[in-house]
Amino acid sequence: MLLVPCPNCGPRNSTDLRYGGESHARPDPNTASPAEWRAYLYLRDNPAGWLRENWYCASGCRRWFSIERNTATNEFRDPPLPGNKRGGAA
Amino acid sequence: MAESASPQGPAFESPVVRSYPASRAGDLTLSDESAVTKWLVRAGAEGPTADLLGAPFGTSLVAPGGALVLGSRPGEWIVVGTASDVAAAVAGLDGIEEQEFCSALDWTQGRALFRVTGTSAARMLEKVCGLDWSDHMTPDGAVVSASVALVTCDIARNDRDGVRSYLIFCDRSFGQYLFDALIDAGNEFGLSVAAASHSHSAA
Repeated sequence: MLLVPCPNCGPRNSTDLRYGGESHARPDPNTASPAEWRAYLYLRDNPAGWLRENWYCASGCRRWFSIERNTATNEFRDPPLPGNKRGGAA
Repeated sequence: MAESASPQGPAFESPVVRSYPASRAGDLTLSDESAVTKWLVRAGAEGPTADLLGAPFGTSLVAPGGALVLGSRPGEWIVVGTASDVAAAVAGLDGIEEQEFCSALDWTQGRALFRVTGTSAARMLEKVCGLDWSDHMTPDGAVVSASVALVTCDIARNDRDGVRSYLIFCDRSFGQYLFDALIDAGNEFGLSVAAASHSHSAA
């Protein structure tokens, strides 16, 4: 079982949340090239290690938040504080 | 279950339509209290609405009029009680829209509400919900949202006369299923289906 530390609800089973994929900075639509948009929409880093991800607490607080997860060990770090979407290092 | 939920609304019909045996051996009881008036209030997590209702996320309190106010999510409250109690609790919201965006919705027809009472209520919930129901994590007055038998629910601990008791809210369309699932979970503890009590005072 994967316990995801929701900033509002505390540790929750991952089945209570929805995985929102890797967290990327959205490019400026006024200046981004088609290649940058394509990379933003379709390309993923998929590292074996620390990765910042988006999660949605569907059964709990119904809030999106961003957190770092080690994809090799499933450890979490840098959870945001309650009421925030991103961790302190972001 | 024939109590009219709202002065203007249609006569309330519970989502639980089956009948159940009246009594069993244990002290665990399950009652369908869906007819009780329920309002949903949404606003900023901090602001005049939060100050008025007074129940931060994860907690509950009894409003001066007698309604039970649950801080169900950040910036979201459920107000439960008789129609007059709930009306008194949300009456102060009328002038708040000038200070912040706030919505108050009569949720009575759209949400089912069940109460589980008994010393083994926590052990029963552990079978269908992955949260820690110990006194340390969820004391009397605690409010959480979680999956119960795979249905997203709001759950409030609201002890009655010192006996552990939980209010469980879910979407009306899941009401009959969840009621049956709770009965299945409670069978080993001697659960019986009780008549509804329409009082929600935490006192």
